[in-house]
Amino acid sequence: MIKHKSKLYTAGIAGIALTLSGCASPGKPPTAELQSAENSLQQAVAADAREFEPILLNDAQNKVADAKKMIDQEKYTQAERLLEQAEVDAQLAAARADTAKAKQAVEEINRNIESMRKQINQSQ
Amino acid sequence: MKKRNITLGVAVGLSVMISGCASTPPENAMVTEARASYAKIKNDPDVARSGNRQLRNARDELQRAEYLLEEGKDTVRIEHAAYLANRHAEIANEQGQRARLQKQIDSAEERRRVLMLEQRSSEAQRAQMEAEQARREAEMLRKQMEELQAERTDRGMVLTLGDVLFDLNKADLKASGEQTIARLTQFMKEYEERRVRVEGYTDSTGDESYNQQLSERRAQAVRDELVAQGIDRRRVEVRGFGEQYPVASNDTDLGRQQNRRVEIVISDKDGNIETRGN
Repeated sequence: MIKHKSKLYTAGIAGIALTLSGCASPGKPPTAELQSAENSLQQAVAADAREFEPILLNDAQNKVADAKKMIDQEKYTQAERLLEQAEVDAQLAAARADTAKAKQAVEEINRNIESMRKQINQSQ
Repeated sequence: MKKRNITLGVAVGLSVMISGCASTPPENAMVTEARASYAKIKNDPDVARSGNRQLRNARDELQRAEYLLEEGKDTVRIEHAAYLANRHAEIANEQGQRARLQKQIDSAEERRRVLMLEQRSSEAQRAQMEAEQARREAEMLRKQMEELQAERTDRGMVLTLGDVLFDLNKADLKASGEQTIARLTQFMKEYEERRVRVEGYTDSTGDESYNQQLSERRAQAVRDELVAQGIDRRRVEVRGFGEQYPVASNDTDLGRQQNRRVEIVISDKDGNIETRGN
């Protein structure tokens, strides 16, 4: 049922997209998508993605920059796709940075435990 | 005849299968990849716990990509949906991994907490060992005092030197007395924080003021000997008590002999000596 509904939903979107592309009108600029992608970029930078995932972060930033140019050229559909990709790229960069930091934290605490253990053994 | 029928049947079957194959939508590499990414994590409990939203997004985008592919839509649109599906799956995977690492961090922190408690208790053990050491030292001191035949009294440790130190009515140390003092000197050199008070006592024979003076001179003679053997004069107090504080009856020879004595009162380790109540 849910599957059916979501199929209907995607079909609807596809229909709209078809209508849009069919029209000469370029549709509306993807303002919300731009905002959303830029937010995700900021969050990725805040999660230290520049240190841990610089390439993926750059990709996302380039996509946003390209999307802005396309918006200027009124290529809204292409811009929207790029922005959607930039957003998930940025989110992935942030998630990978978080994972890398968690790994470092695990290593650090394990080193810490090891040195405590040595200290205890020495004092006994 | 029968054999031919079978062959025919197989041929029909095969052609149905082939035509069935022909009707399946064409594959797209990115959709295949997204499908695999999603399949890899959809049953991961850590992803389900902490990456559920991204997992749902992955599923929705994958369904969109499959639908577009089935309908033979524009490849750009198909691959865009597949791209998003793949990314969402990757993000969900990272979040699941992150959750696993967090579990490791939590359990490591618990281990560290336990270790810290252990460390604290081993510090307590060390303190206990130090206390034990102090107790042993005190015990050694007690033994050495015992060798000097000192007694524990309410004034502290008291070493009683009988009348062997002096001849009757004399205040000069006898040679045997010097040896006794040498043992005391040795003790005082070992325990430099200790001080002593030399107290002279007499029996009740004779004039009281004479006895008082005699007891003082004898105490001083002991101090002079200690100083002569290298003990700092400031560590030795002297006091004469004359006939006071007899330890036995003055009516018998034996009792009088016990009353003629020098007592060495040894200070605590801060150098304090209890004074005799007058």
